[in-house]
Amino acid sequence: MVDKLVPAESFPILRETPEEIAYELRAHEGALWSGSRMLMGIWAFAFAALGFAYFYLRSANNADLWRPARITAPTGVGAAVFAFSLAAAILAAYGLWRFRLGSSLDWEVAGWTGVLCSLTAVSLQIWQLTDLPFFPGSSGYASCFVGWAGMNIVLLLCGAYWLETLLARHLRLRRAVADDGGLARSTLPAVRLFRVNLEGCTYFWAFIAFVAFFFWMLFYLV
Amino acid sequence: MATSTVDTEGPSYPGEVSEGHGVIGARSDWLKPNVTWAIVGAVGGWFFGRYVGDLIAGNWPVSQNTTMNNVSVVFAMSFGVLGWIAGIGALTYPILKMLGREPAPVQPSSSWVRYFRMTEDHKVVGLQYLIGVLVFLFTGGLLAMAIRTELLSPTSHVFGPGTYIAIVSEHGTMMMMMASSAVVGPLGNWLVPLMIGSRRMAFPRIEAFSFWIFMAGYLVIMTALPLGGFPTGWTAYAPLQTQANPGMDAYLVGFAVIGIGMIAAGFNLAATIINYRAPGMTWSRVPIFVWSILATTALLVLATPTLIVAGYLGVLDRTVQTAFYVTEHGGSSFLWENLFWFFGHPEVYIMALPGFGIVMEMMPVFTRKPLFAYRVAAAGMIGVALLSFFVWQHHLFQSGINPDMRPLFMLTTELISIPTGFLFLVTLGTLWRAKIRFEVPMLFCLGMLFNFLIGGITGVFLSDVPVDVTVHGSFFVMAHFHYTIMGGLIFALFGGLYYWLPKMTGKVLNQRLAKIHFWTFFVFFNCTFFPLFLVGLLGMPRRVFEYAHNLQTLNDISSVSAFLLGASFLIFIFNFVWSVYIDPVKAPDNPWDSRGLEWQTATPVPWFDFERIPVVLSDPYRYSEPGAPPVADPGAPSLGSVGAMSYGNAVGPRDVESLPDRPGDLDPRPPIL
Repeated sequence: MVDKLVPAESFPILRETPEEIAYELRAHEGALWSGSRMLMGIWAFAFAALGFAYFYLRSANNADLWRPARITAPTGVGAAVFAFSLAAAILAAYGLWRFRLGSSLDWEVAGWTGVLCSLTAVSLQIWQLTDLPFFPGSSGYASCFVGWAGMNIVLLLCGAYWLETLLARHLRLRRAVADDGGLARSTLPAVRLFRVNLEGCTYFWAFIAFVAFFFWMLFYLV
Repeated sequence: MATSTVDTEGPSYPGEVSEGHGVIGARSDWLKPNVTWAIVGAVGGWFFGRYVGDLIAGNWPVSQNTTMNNVSVVFAMSFGVLGWIAGIGALTYPILKMLGREPAPVQPSSSWVRYFRMTEDHKVVGLQYLIGVLVFLFTGGLLAMAIRTELLSPTSHVFGPGTYIAIVSEHGTMMMMMASSAVVGPLGNWLVPLMIGSRRMAFPRIEAFSFWIFMAGYLVIMTALPLGGFPTGWTAYAPLQTQANPGMDAYLVGFAVIGIGMIAAGFNLAATIINYRAPGMTWSRVPIFVWSILATTALLVLATPTLIVAGYLGVLDRTVQTAFYVTEHGGSSFLWENLFWFFGHPEVYIMALPGFGIVMEMMPVFTRKPLFAYRVAAAGMIGVALLSFFVWQHHLFQSGINPDMRPLFMLTTELISIPTGFLFLVTLGTLWRAKIRFEVPMLFCLGMLFNFLIGGITGVFLSDVPVDVTVHGSFFVMAHFHYTIMGGLIFALFGGLYYWLPKMTGKVLNQRLAKIHFWTFFVFFNCTFFPLFLVGLLGMPRRVFEYAHNLQTLNDISSVSAFLLGASFLIFIFNFVWSVYIDPVKAPDNPWDSRGLEWQTATPVPWFDFERIPVVLSDPYRYSEPGAPPVADPGAPSLGSVGAMSYGNAVGPRDVESLPDRPGDLDPRPPIL
């Protein structure tokens, strides 16, 4: 019955002009650019909500239980998580810089190292959660820390996933476009989209580094 | 020159790879990922999640009336959702991306099976959303009938107090979830590419994902009932939230799941509107409905993460025993209220703005006049969207906030009535001295204006602290938001459906039945909810199943009208089934004589929307204007020149012709993202 909604004659052959293909390609590039920035906006509001919780509970200090005895999560592990997150972001940025100069191998090495760094940060964050010196519900600080740790794991995994997909794509593309100027120069649509995607991913990693720094200060320094 | 073409044989998308990357072979449709596998995945995921939860926290206290603790409930639901989206095939693409592949998109087909699968056709997703939204609406509506049945008598009861509050909570949550996607889902997805002259969405897989996770949210929230429901209403205030049955977990997980769908839908639509507008579709020519969707997507993308985080913190409180909302342990129950309403008030405009967009889109068609003050309307929508982030505290006027903060948020709340008033005045200005065609969609528009006027003015009352303090928590508030959401959004939605269904289905709906639907809907809506203003002013609180005897007459008028209002929905369903399946009458291409771009393509709309990407020449509202140019040139070999002019030399003809046959990554056509 539902078939009546769209009969078969509505599936003719699509004939695209080169200009239409070019138009769609530009639109694709724009969508990737907008999408990567929107993704940062989404995460920014998510972490802003957590930041609000931090400052709200801190200023309320209900039952005098914001941070009794200035309890702190293990600082060494916390610093390591932050350092690995920052390293991954720096590697992504360095890789993009080298990629733009035409050295896609440098980007590849930096990228895989960045993925490794981010996964190490995730592992350390999980390990830290299993070995906290406080009960999650013992104070406002403890609650906020546990909440942040969970979100940080998801954020780092998102960043690692994005970087890994680009690296895997790079492996498949590089031979195919070797005689077309390489990934940094080729004008093929798949490569152009790859470059926009890579740029968005690098910006996202800068965002991750900013978030890591901000919350590292909140939980370990302030 | 520019008119040479690249043929895409058969029903395929631009950029589809033909070999080496195919995910799906020549299997039967029923062996490919579809809703059956999604159900299997959801059930399997539920039991697996429960097993994992028991493994982690098997020795934790079991919740009342169940055999599960909160950890196993949350794990069961989360893995159930994961199983659902894996079964529908939403994980296939992300996994293949990890292997560096750009898989072929799901083939468009004319088989009815496509409605039960992930699809990259925005029109199929739009229809899927329509059915999904109606499922939400009717489930919530049945619960509303149960509420009004209970309130027929002040002291004789059909349900116990616990069951009653569980029904009220489920109704509210279900309807809010429905309303957040009611227009954006069906009409936004179906119409936006057509209205902006695009052949596709920016991220069609994300679009399809948004629908299927929306339905997963429905299943999760339905599981609240067998788990004992939740006693908090749709606002889920702590500390009751922290103390409630596992049904509360369904609320928290369900709203987060729906929230993910809302973000995904908004993300895709925003990227599409920003980037896929046809050549010549400048911002000043963008249809006002698209402006409304764009403003809504900003709210969806930015406000919803707060809800997800708020729910996540609630889940942590109920599972790993954090104390975000537990005042005695250093948390604060007001924290939930702040986070919830930081999402919840923009949510009001997520529901209202698309309704106004529909009405303003249809007004010029039925008045044969240009849209009055188009730029003011667009600015009003952006203004409402921006201001909606600064008003949330008015929901806490009665919650012990610093009294000095009240005037500030009273002011911001009253400020938002200014851009909202712009929108209202734009519609009135369009009506002014018009020769109105009282077709069914126009009747719904006028009904919406009448209802929203009442809902809006009572909203201005409520923004004032003295009134809010007086009627807080009463049926007055309840009547107010039903007038804005149901009277505004749902009226606009039905108007939009009557207007666009001929395009969507290719069939004309029976106009006599449609008029009966409108008048019964309009009369019984007002008979249901207007008495509740009086009941509220007389002091009847919300969410309480007993009330003073002197309020019975007004409550009975409301209850009987509610049953008749429910029956009027059935007229719509009957009309739809009758007109589309039993006695179909083919719709002409442009039955309302509209200038909208979506009406300029064939009916039914081909899978790629437009034979040629149109070149837009003017805005779509220049009705009754002598010598007005056509809205677009749909034939468009001229896209060559416009495209080259507007978009530079992205890929010239040489690039395409030199690589005509190479598949995969070397395909000159851009892949589906």
